[in-house]
Amino acid sequence: MNPRAKIERFLDNASRSRLMVYACVLGLIGLALMTWSLFDQGWIPVMMAMSVGQGIGTLSFALFLVIVIIDLRQADFRPSITPMPPKPDDD
Amino acid sequence: MHVSPLSWIALTCAVVAAVIMIYYLIYRPPLNGRVKLLMMVAVGVLPIMTAMIGNLEGLQATEHQAFCGSCHTMDMHIADANDPDSLSLAAIHSRTIKFGDKSCYVCHKDYGMFGYAMTKLGGMGHVYMFLSEYAWYDMEEALPKIHIARPFKNDNCMQCHSTTGRLWNDVADHNGLLEDLRTGTTSCASAGCHGYAHPFSKPDEETPSDAEAHSALPAPSPEGT
Repeated sequence: MNPRAKIERFLDNASRSRLMVYACVLGLIGLALMTWSLFDQGWIPVMMAMSVGQGIGTLSFALFLVIVIIDLRQADFRPSITPMPPKPDDD
Repeated sequence: MHVSPLSWIALTCAVVAAVIMIYYLIYRPPLNGRVKLLMMVAVGVLPIMTAMIGNLEGLQATEHQAFCGSCHTMDMHIADANDPDSLSLAAIHSRTIKFGDKSCYVCHKDYGMFGYAMTKLGGMGHVYMFLSEYAWYDMEEALPKIHIARPFKNDNCMQCHSTTGRLWNDVADHNGLLEDLRTGTTSCASAGCHGYAHPFSKPDEETPSDAEAHSALPAPSPEGT
């Protein structure tokens, strides 16, 4: 199976609520690391906040975007304007 | 510990985001449009604000002595810089308001257009050296091994001491070595001139005595340097 097919299969089968749980857990970890540096400005907290913390936070947001992509793939798009009925003298 | 108003904003964003995420984790509401909008704020907007303010505050924190001194190998450098009785260049400069709590950064940063980025890159090098070697040494082991990565540039001294003032040029050694000092051939912070900035970290034979250091240092003057 090629990578594209794998991704499509994942997007078809993934549970949105589970992805959101992962996003929340990662988001909480990222936020904890980022806020640590606001109070302790030693090199470890500052570097952890600006690298690992933001990396985890980005991953969390990326998972949320995956949920949005899944929704968009499953959305049933309909035109917002209904087609005009044919005029009687058209035929 | 000083927490700035910006930090409080970042903290508020983080707390609000955390509350929403914890709410979701506990109650697991169905992901309808409203919940998704709320989660976008909690997972995206608020953490991004926290990260941006965190970056700003973090980069500012890297300019303070507390950051430089958070590696144990810098303990003696910080202690000397803050010692009111010390006559080292580091201590003399740290006592002035222009340097103060940021004395490490003001003296050691790279100036110029890309100075800030180059300083941060250099700092990453220090982190690598600390993690790969110096973190495992105690102070006695580390002190003889610590050395500046590149020779200290006179350009950094010349950010304040322009070498054009009358008082400065009245010093015979300054006048005689003017070109050497401007080109960096002779270092201001060398044993024969003003002494090392951190003399305790140098072998005794390279360190001028207090009397030599005193004689080499003119009385502090806010102008004409």
